Amino acid sequence: MPLPPANLSSPPRLHSRKLRVRGTSITLLSQIRERAEADLGFAVEYELLDFPTCQRRAAMEPEGYDLYEQCFHNLDIVWFWGALQPIDVARITEWDRISDLAKQGGISKYAWRGHGDAPVRKLYVQPGGFLGPKPSRYISMLPTVHNMDSFGYDPAVFGASEASRPSWSWLLDKRAKGRIGLMDEPAIGFFDAALAAEATGELQFADICNMTIEEINALMALLEDRRRQGYFCGAWRDGDQAARLVRDREVAVQSMWSPVYGQIGPHPGDFVEAAPVEGYRAWHGGASLSRHLGGPALDMAYEYLNWWLAGHAGAVMARQGYYISTPERSRAHLTPNEWAYWYDGAPAAQDLRGPAGEWVVRAGARRAGGSYHDRASRIAIWNTVMDEYNYAARAWDRFIQRVNAGRQPEEGAA
Amino acid sequence: MIRSSNPFAQEPRYELITRVLRSNIQRGSLPEGLVLLEGPIAAVMQTSRVPVQSALRHLMAEGLVHRFDGRGYLVGPEGRAIVPLRRDIREFQLEIPDAMDDALQTRGTWRHVYEEVEEQVASCQIFGEFRIIETELSDYLGVSRTVARDVLARLQERGLIRKSASSHWIAGPLTARTVREKFELRSIMEPAALRLAAPHIRYAEVEHLLEIIDSGAMLSSDSLSDALMDFCIAQAPNTTLVEMIRSNRLLLSSVNRALTALGLPHDEETIDQYRTLLDLIARHPIDSAAEYLRDHVEIMAQRNLARMKIVAVIRETGAFAPYLAPQ
Repeated sequence: MPLPPANLSSPPRLHSRKLRVRGTSITLLSQIRERAEADLGFAVEYELLDFPTCQRRAAMEPEGYDLYEQCFHNLDIVWFWGALQPIDVARITEWDRISDLAKQGGISKYAWRGHGDAPVRKLYVQPGGFLGPKPSRYISMLPTVHNMDSFGYDPAVFGASEASRPSWSWLLDKRAKGRIGLMDEPAIGFFDAALAAEATGELQFADICNMTIEEINALMALLEDRRRQGYFCGAWRDGDQAARLVRDREVAVQSMWSPVYGQIGPHPGDFVEAAPVEGYRAWHGGASLSRHLGGPALDMAYEYLNWWLAGHAGAVMARQGYYISTPERSRAHLTPNEWAYWYDGAPAAQDLRGPAGEWVVRAGARRAGGSYHDRASRIAIWNTVMDEYNYAARAWDRFIQRVNAGRQPEEGAA
Repeated sequence: MIRSSNPFAQEPRYELITRVLRSNIQRGSLPEGLVLLEGPIAAVMQTSRVPVQSALRHLMAEGLVHRFDGRGYLVGPEGRAIVPLRRDIREFQLEIPDAMDDALQTRGTWRHVYEEVEEQVASCQIFGEFRIIETELSDYLGVSRTVARDVLARLQERGLIRKSASSHWIAGPLTARTVREKFELRSIMEPAALRLAAPHIRYAEVEHLLEIIDSGAMLSSDSLSDALMDFCIAQAPNTTLVEMIRSNRLLLSSVNRALTALGLPHDEETIDQYRTLLDLIARHPIDSAAEYLRDHVEIMAQRNLARMKIVAVIRETGAFAPYLAPQ
């Protein structure tokens, strides 16, 4: 931004202090940045990247950012590259209000924890610099936004009644042959496919979130077989692509992110969110400190972290269907109708707006899976970067390239 | 096998180069402050750069050379504000004993090129599966097909490549399982070798290394790992065991070097662990050192598995030697 002329009566010093945030489309929303700048009195600069680029650059160029906003499941990559410094929870004012889903591993003592990289398994810094669930004063990433993902489907294909019992197996179902979309991110789409393969009964994994090479090969062979039979119509990388596949009626079933339901057009009943019988695939986001931060810059980063949990950011997240780790603080920033729909699972009493003011929910609609508590109690797996991630991600990428090549016959090989 | 009465004929090249440089530094033929660069040394010794890198790391662990704020190493110990002397090593009268010169010159032709190829083939595997194209390899090295085949045979013998069903040479992919298994082997074999080695350990060198660490000199974990191997573990009288340990470490250390080349930062925790380990070796019953070594290897395994995950988000196309074809 160009500096204003020096002869202004009150030269703004506001933007001389700046916090640089590297992250993804999950949290880098202009509504959050603008409000943070106004509340905190310093500039916030966003660098919005896709998932893999964000991880790579966070690990290898830690000088390029102050705060890193990403997910717990790929934290290993950046943490063990030595790019981050621990967060002192004594400086997090909302620490005691952060929910047990992040701090204990489950929404309640009795809730099933889910397979894979639950945030608590990567949360606390352990002796020797490892990450683990044993509480300590220092954490790797401050837990913020999260959700339980599932897929969306066309009720004309799979049935609209409760009795249809949505299952991850639908991602490999012959009723949707030729109209199945895939999410092209190996730590996400790969597990959608793994859940589907177990749900159809075709494969069983000893540990679905830490597969062996043989299990990965078996899953990829199964997917390749379905691809050759023409099951898949495409793969998407971001919400806009996912929404377009739905609007163009190309897909009858595909993995979905909550904000996409607000973007799919005037007939939301044509494509509905599933509450899968097997449970959800959950993820948890957060923010970490770059290792180079110190002094006043570090203080600014802590101010921003505390601001994130204080209510407004969580309310913006709620309007796109995501939950925050301090929900009670966000309640005051949502209307009662918004809270009732997004957190309590009640029917919408009126049309509801999304983060940018667009209409995303019709009056009378009800969120699939019910309340936050109900959904968080039914987590089957967490997004995970497993030990063989390098192998699995490369196999997945080759497969996705073939899926995409199949969409463009003029470019694709025979 | 090459049979020879020359006592140096069977020594690894880096060991020969280390000996030559060490004796020339100690005699004063290479003056304090001289900047040692890999390329010119490799030219003098008629080898690739890989064994020269390894030799320089050894000399650093011995405190004879040190890193400075520039390319290469400076002759002399760290901390004396020695002024860099930038001159070509070929201007100095390097003394190379005949037997050693002989050992450097008379090796099978494939030995001159082997170490470079081994490094390239081992480090590419974190990026997936590669086919090695024999004709490209001989073009790249400027050697005959026969020599290229000798190199490939040696790589196969050391477990770095295999033949596919269609008779192609294949390297990789390096999986987490391979890494885990190799570390498991390390934690079984190395403490055992250390116990066997106890009466033969080069304690004076270990003490000297501890002094260097305590003086605050910057040592890489690679050079400490090499020193632990050479001064301690490899002193075990069971040569078969030592050979197994060396070949088991091969892929792991190449991967580590490949990760370092990608920008893996200096690892303080690991260097602290080496310090503790060397201290236990030098001053305590060998069992305590062996137990600590096992723990240390297990911690290294976890760290390495986590670090390998980043490779999944790195696209390295175009960065491989031309004879390596990504599959």
